[in-house]
Amino acid sequence: MIPQKMHAMFAKPNHDEASRQEFVNDFRVHLASKVFPGTFPTYFGRVLPAFVKANGREPKDRHEIRKVMTKDSFYQLWSAMQRNSQEMIWDSVIDSVERQLPDLMDRAKHTKGKGSLTLNPDVVVPKYHTAADIHLQPGAYHTDSGPDDLAAGAIYDRGTYIYSMGGLGEENDGLGRILHKFFRKQYPDMKVARVLDMGCTAGGSVTYWSTQEPGTEFHAIDVGAPCLRYGHARAKAVGGNVHFSQQNAEKTNFADGSFDLVTSHILLHETSRPAIYNIMKECYRLLKPGGVMMHLDLPQAHGQTPLEGFLWEWEIYNNNEHFYGQLRELDMVDVVTKAGFKPENFKVHQVSSTWDDGQTPYSTENFTFPVYVAVK
Amino acid sequence: MADEKKPVKLPRTAKGKKPVYFDTTTDKLISMVLTLMGEVSVMRDRLDTVERLAAKKGVFALDDVETYEPAADVVKVRSERRAAYIARVLKSVQDELDALQAKDDGMNVDVVS
Repeated sequence: MIPQKMHAMFAKPNHDEASRQEFVNDFRVHLASKVFPGTFPTYFGRVLPAFVKANGREPKDRHEIRKVMTKDSFYQLWSAMQRNSQEMIWDSVIDSVERQLPDLMDRAKHTKGKGSLTLNPDVVVPKYHTAADIHLQPGAYHTDSGPDDLAAGAIYDRGTYIYSMGGLGEENDGLGRILHKFFRKQYPDMKVARVLDMGCTAGGSVTYWSTQEPGTEFHAIDVGAPCLRYGHARAKAVGGNVHFSQQNAEKTNFADGSFDLVTSHILLHETSRPAIYNIMKECYRLLKPGGVMMHLDLPQAHGQTPLEGFLWEWEIYNNNEHFYGQLRELDMVDVVTKAGFKPENFKVHQVSSTWDDGQTPYSTENFTFPVYVAVK
Repeated sequence: MADEKKPVKLPRTAKGKKPVYFDTTTDKLISMVLTLMGEVSVMRDRLDTVERLAAKKGVFALDDVETYEPAADVVKVRSERRAAYIARVLKSVQDELDALQAKDDGMNVDVVS
């Protein structure tokens, strides 16, 4: 595994913790490169022929494929191992965060830097976060053991690095780099006085943005207090300048027309269908006339073959990404139109998952993230 | 030093329904095997570190390892480490026990009220 870049808030693993984390990474690389590809010959070689023989036709959608593939022994074993590897990521990271937590909380207080942190204990963590711990991180983003707890953020920052097998870059902020690069490609001369990032978790993306646009005031919100505490401390440690506050993106306390740009990085698929409608309405309210919103997220179901759709949805059924299923089916034109945007001012871009020329992409060579862009 | 401060216990099991791949027992066995795979790998790395450091610094000969006899305090430390190791490997069994225990508690409350 390519080493993750150290900073004052990084929960540095000791010898055995590092070894355990390296193992999980190498195991997942093996699963992705040697085992997962076996799902294709499994499907085309035996599952599909058996389906055709029994039904006289091919499966009509991804749901029919799931019914038969989840009974196949190869798929079951890959799936069980993949699930276990996800659990092992968190377990290996929690070891080092748990051991150092009092020290990390101290470091957060003493790390000097820019930006601010405003917590609001009255914020209710929505059901789509409390129903199940998203992508199996025990305690999820919001479990808060006390006034200085930042464990969830520290765990997320290291866990997602291992999850992506280092694919988010040595500073684990690749999503921010991808969206910022796209933003400046689309709007090279746009002046942005104030930016809001919604659902910022550990703040890696927005912190990167703040280092690239030094004249801009950056705000970032999330419902999870421990993530915000960590995010603020991390931002200070790496030279960012972000004002973090605990707020739900569905309804914030910012005034109408507060921002030139509103962003999110893989937020929407972890909220519900009604929440996405609310978030888009809130974006419309928060933007100045001529302001832009950009939401980078995971692919929707349309445009995918039934097999691709089925494989993408492994995360929904096996990795506690239940709400991703709602985003996959949503009519985004309807969503943004109901929010107030004109349909002609809305576009879905497919954005490359690389940020440097010649860089190894996040996943496969052609992998792109959809980015939902609308101008007020 | 962090070690002198109050120790923290973070949650270790994600909330949400766990899928069944083969059957619950086979699934647990898969978890155990994979965890063991990981722990063997961790141990091998540690041994590798020790061997390399020893060789680099000329600290001991291989024969010293063969003739080593642990003292009582070393036996105790090893025993505690082994207990933590066993608990890690058998975590899936503990998870089920915890869930059963939680259900039992709920039922008792109902009976009392």
